[in-house]
Amino acid sequence: MSCAVLVSRCIRNVHGYVAFTMDRNDSLPPEIELAQLLQRCAAHDPAAFRLLYDRTSPILFARLLRMLRRRSVAEEALQEVYVRIWERAAQYEIHRGRALAWMVTIARYCAIDLMRRERVTLVGDDALAEVADESTAEPGAFEKPNHFDDCIGRLSQNTQQCLTLAFVEGHSHDEIARLTSNPLGSVKSWIRRGLISLKECLSGERQTA
Amino acid sequence: MKSSNRELLDRLAAEYVLGTLRSRARRRFERWLVSPQVRVMVNDWEQRLAGLEPSLQRVTPPARVWQGIEGRLELGRSGRTRAVRWMALAASVLLAVFGYFTLRDPPLVATLQASIAADPQTIYWQVELLGDNQELNVRVLATHPLAPGKAHELWILPAQGNPVSLGLLPASGTQHQVLTAGQRAALAGAKQLAVSLEPAGGSPTGLPTGPVIHVAPLSPA
Repeated sequence: MSCAVLVSRCIRNVHGYVAFTMDRNDSLPPEIELAQLLQRCAAHDPAAFRLLYDRTSPILFARLLRMLRRRSVAEEALQEVYVRIWERAAQYEIHRGRALAWMVTIARYCAIDLMRRERVTLVGDDALAEVADESTAEPGAFEKPNHFDDCIGRLSQNTQQCLTLAFVEGHSHDEIARLTSNPLGSVKSWIRRGLISLKECLSGERQTA
Repeated sequence: MKSSNRELLDRLAAEYVLGTLRSRARRRFERWLVSPQVRVMVNDWEQRLAGLEPSLQRVTPPARVWQGIEGRLELGRSGRTRAVRWMALAASVLLAVFGYFTLRDPPLVATLQASIAADPQTIYWQVELLGDNQELNVRVLATHPLAPGKAHELWILPAQGNPVSLGLLPASGTQHQVLTAGQRAALAGAKQLAVSLEPAGGSPTGLPTGPVIHVAPLSPA
């Protein structure tokens, strides 16, 4: 796939991100139910694990496909993710809530580990065309910090794009530099400064909120 | 922690969560995660950056993924083939039928029952309470995986008070026992049975000491 195609897709994704944040509906697995299922998994209850898998695997699989692109690799990753979820369920802290976010984080880290091994990030350009097989759009399942949209909106377009390419697509500094045709040094410093600004803005807003 | 160290660690935590910390640097940073302070930094960044999570259309994974997970974790199946399971099921049913006709005279009627199951297709133990909770029958329908040196113990969850043991669950075949007055009292008004993982020989304390791995409702037989 050419860089131009990738970049245009990624830019669409950046815009898509703005669009989906408005789009919330009620078809989400209730967080409380997921938290309880995780607790039962911690007590080695296989029935709860199966239910948890049925409820959440389409969400995690979509997330892994987005980062890994190839179905075969995403399937392997999904297995690893649920093995980790089962093994680490006792580490999930129910009082923190965010059960789905906890699982998605495990999936993201697992995908990053796999990318290192497989170097799959820039291949498999057909994968995205085949991935979406259901019509239900996943709503904004993740609790955003207060004023997140405001704070991210204050960053430069370049910085927003770099953060999204890294977080959502799982691209490395090098890949982002190539995809956006920017010098590696600029990409690194946009990301570093963007993260600092985001943290300052979110904590500042929290104090005044 | 020196403030310069703290700043560096926080920057690394941010890039760890963002995903741009890669390869050896990522592995090295993961070793720092044993520190509670570093874990707090990572956790804070996970919450901050969760705002970037995209909304995606769900994609149902193929069934082979679950089969792979089940195989890797040895959940419920413990590597036995379907044919062997069916043979075990048939054998235990035959045994149960055989036992029913040879040992019962006259047979007590089952009043309450519970299925201890992973899902409706995978019932491990079928429990029946006979003759107004005078006797207990347990049938193994599917062998539950069990680590060496461990045992499955069955408990009454009474309407009030602590769980009361119904003894160890068999790994295969059927088991029949006459209940004590204490067990019958605990069963009066109880709505659920539970299974816990205990050391071989059962709980040393008389209360569940290991994780409760199944809870099953008691229903009229």
